[in-house]
Amino acid sequence: MTGEPVGCPPPPPTGAPAGPLEPWPETVRWQSVSTDLIRVELLRLAGLLGVVLVGLAVGWVMSGHRLFGVAVGAVVLVGAVRVVTIVRAVHAWGYAEREDDLLVRHGLLVRRLSVVPYSRMQFVDVSAGPLERAFNLATVQLHTAAAASDARVPGLRPAEASRLRDRLTALGETRTEPL
Amino acid sequence: MTPDLPMPDPPPPPTPAPLPAPATAPGDGGPGGRGGVADAEPRQRLHPLSPVLHGAKSLVVVIAGLSWSTLSRVGFGWFALMAALLALGATVLAVVSWYNTGYHVVGRELRVHEGLLWRRTRAIPLERLQAVEVVRPLLAQLTGLAELRLEVVGGAKTEAPLAYLGVAEAGVLRRRLLALAGPAPAPGPQPAPDDVAPAVPPPPGRALHAVSNRDLLVSQLLTPQAFLLPFGVAFVVAQFVSEGSYSFIAVASTITAMAGVLLQPVRRVLDDWNFRLARDEGTLRVRNGLLETRAQTVPLSRVQTVGVTWPLLWRAKGWLRLRLEVAGYSAAEGDDRNRPDRLLPVGDHPTGEAIVAEVLPGVRLGALATTLPPTRARWLRPLSRRAVGAGLDERVFAARSGLLTRQLTVVPYARIQSVRVTQGPAQRRLRLATVHADTAGGAGAAAPDRDLAEAWWLAAELTARAHAARRAG
Repeated sequence: MTGEPVGCPPPPPTGAPAGPLEPWPETVRWQSVSTDLIRVELLRLAGLLGVVLVGLAVGWVMSGHRLFGVAVGAVVLVGAVRVVTIVRAVHAWGYAEREDDLLVRHGLLVRRLSVVPYSRMQFVDVSAGPLERAFNLATVQLHTAAAASDARVPGLRPAEASRLRDRLTALGETRTEPL
Repeated sequence: MTPDLPMPDPPPPPTPAPLPAPATAPGDGGPGGRGGVADAEPRQRLHPLSPVLHGAKSLVVVIAGLSWSTLSRVGFGWFALMAALLALGATVLAVVSWYNTGYHVVGRELRVHEGLLWRRTRAIPLERLQAVEVVRPLLAQLTGLAELRLEVVGGAKTEAPLAYLGVAEAGVLRRRLLALAGPAPAPGPQPAPDDVAPAVPPPPGRALHAVSNRDLLVSQLLTPQAFLLPFGVAFVVAQFVSEGSYSFIAVASTITAMAGVLLQPVRRVLDDWNFRLARDEGTLRVRNGLLETRAQTVPLSRVQTVGVTWPLLWRAKGWLRLRLEVAGYSAAEGDDRNRPDRLLPVGDHPTGEAIVAEVLPGVRLGALATTLPPTRARWLRPLSRRAVGAGLDERVFAARSGLLTRQLTVVPYARIQSVRVTQGPAQRRLRLATVHADTAGGAGAAAPDRDLAEAWWLAAELTARAHAARRAG
């Protein structure tokens, strides 16, 4: 068996990809996550900002120092920027089920796309925190033996989450191979 | 992956223990034998000398913990007394824990019971066994004992180090566990090689390679630590001479610091002394060590990644180092001495090529072609653009990195767990992306800063080839 190097032939000019996060547009049908995830994330952000702002306000009242006012302004500004990025980031989340693997894309600043074969799945997590439950959402996470794999899909309707979980486990069971 | 692998023999029936009951260990461990299962074999104790060894080991720790300054403050007599008391306490604890520790094989599981107050029973599923290692520290060699370490998928650290067993017992148990583990064929025909254990017995099976100790010494002298040490010593000595004062603590601390700097190369020399590599059916056997000998067995089907390193100072010699990754080690594990990742501590190119061909059949190290990222990647890597690269071979994905210490990571397609494409903000401006191939052990391989279209093509190709390789293998 000679290791005839296949090498990296120049990539076939399939034309420019539709978008940086959307490769193989002809075979992949992306599904987006629920926009209610925006509200969940915004509420989380509001909670965090609230705690910080109350702390700063107390400090401002107690000491009367100008710096606290500046800090409050900065926190509000950061919060405003986060609001915009949250809205855009939720729209950037997406997943697609192909015949043999699950595709998950996310991230705005650093864009990530994971391709996880069903046969490599070790276990599936379905989780829903109190905030997510309030908005009737759940998160599905796929674990492989590699720690670096990241295939997490937040903001799914519970019905969709259990459908995905069942499909993944069913596909995983029929195809799992040992390490 | 290994087509020449014979089908594993059916695992021996678990009921009657083929272990010769060691004369020294009591047959039934644990008060009452809490096993419960009717057909389970009786629980085995560890070797009765183990607490003594643990106590002696703790003596070293105690002395290091008390440090030089304590010695100079309290005088030698008190120091010795303190150390002896602490070590004695540790030994008593070790005796108690020895009394409450037991192991036995139940079906395809190894069960380890331990603990007096917090009882713990660990069941180690043997089909997830990745590697077995027999470690013999110096003291254990003097007393004819050995420690058995098992590596299991999903464990953050080495599971169940059985310390200590008699050497013969450890060899028998290892063979039995590997036979139960599945892909490793039961070593039926070969004569039991571990029963008589000289200092470093020749590994069973077909010998692949032996590293010459002279090369090992030279290679470790060619490390930055050993290279720069004379300058450090000269600096300190010059300071002593210029100040004209010597104190015991200053001298002793300097020596300790020097030893610390030299620790890594010296450890490598001691660890990799007498390095022997052999192949026995479908497993790879590695033996090494001077003061502490290790005999490690890795089923070839469990190799996840092979890494090749060309350190800067070794380039004149044309030497390289090979590493292998098995699943079950987190990359973050601090103590890398216990990672069974040695494949070749030092060797020239033909040797490396021969060993890689043995571990990953059909892969020729010299023929692995990698291509560079596009020219515009120089904005991100002004110096190292030409040092990184990636290529698809017939059976493996190869990724090159490192400007000074050149590295090559080889991942068989069949071992890829998932494929990721990431793109940072700067990469987006340049229309570049990084493609990662994740593996169950180690960090996987990454092709940094590829052209976006090529990255998509690479990801699709990796996914498809991984799929095809899994189907075929």
